[in-house]
Amino acid sequence: MTDLTPITALGASAPADQHFGPLRISENADMALASLALRRTADMPAPMGLELPAPGKWSQGQGVAAFWTGPDQWMIEAETRAAEDFAAELASHAPGCSITEQTDAWTVFEIASDRGDAPIRALMEKLVNIDTGSFGPGSATRTGLHHLSVFLVRRAEDRLAVMTMRSMARDLWHVLQETARRLKGEPA
Amino acid sequence: MLIPHPLLGLRDAQEFTYLGDARLIDRPDGMAEGAEAAFAEYVYLRDNPAGVHRELWFHEQGDRSWLIVTRDTVTHEILGAELARNVALAANGGEA
Repeated sequence: MTDLTPITALGASAPADQHFGPLRISENADMALASLALRRTADMPAPMGLELPAPGKWSQGQGVAAFWTGPDQWMIEAETRAAEDFAAELASHAPGCSITEQTDAWTVFEIASDRGDAPIRALMEKLVNIDTGSFGPGSATRTGLHHLSVFLVRRAEDRLAVMTMRSMARDLWHVLQETARRLKGEPA
Repeated sequence: MLIPHPLLGLRDAQEFTYLGDARLIDRPDGMAEGAEAAFAEYVYLRDNPAGVHRELWFHEQGDRSWLIVTRDTVTHEILGAELARNVALAANGGEA
């Protein structure tokens, strides 16, 4: 059999990870993703003990998390399980729901700040037309960023995840890198 | 311009794409008597009011829902927004 070498969305052998002053941006290549959609008249499921969040929200369970993507639709995240068939397992926990494998469709960049929420807010204010004041921990939304369609998930005061289509990974990385670099000199 | 999304609150109009008159939801029955004339009117005839207008907007860079936005075409003031799905379901008595 052909010997294949896995590469990340940025074409490297290891996930990208870079520091910019108070910000650290790292590629999360180990997260499994699957979308869950309710069928008409279906009851609200609680897959893997997860409480599916309200519009614009993100919620965390035991090793899994979910954010709202549209009416009766959610994206389910599973940390460190990108190499497994997570969608199949999710389907067994959510009978009657429509589950679609999404892991390879997205690239996820995790942004962490070691100086509280100010650097995260400064970065968002440069990049997206979202009210950063009301986008606190537990918020998630889809929006436009440099003509890319992205999901933003505010995991904590000092953490933000940005995800886009895997084929646009280099563009998003470039934008985040440039913006973080320019913000470095600004007071946080 | 900000659009008051019924689920997500105020959102930038740049996230949306515009389709046009909300009456496009009322598609005529293609099998009914006089369907040709009804379709000619449906496809080609639009009111072009200077004032309050109900129109379809798609939240493309967002939750992908269709909204019916009521807008004053003279002042560009947005008077309200509702989910097109709910409007269509209400019009059909709850049947999709």
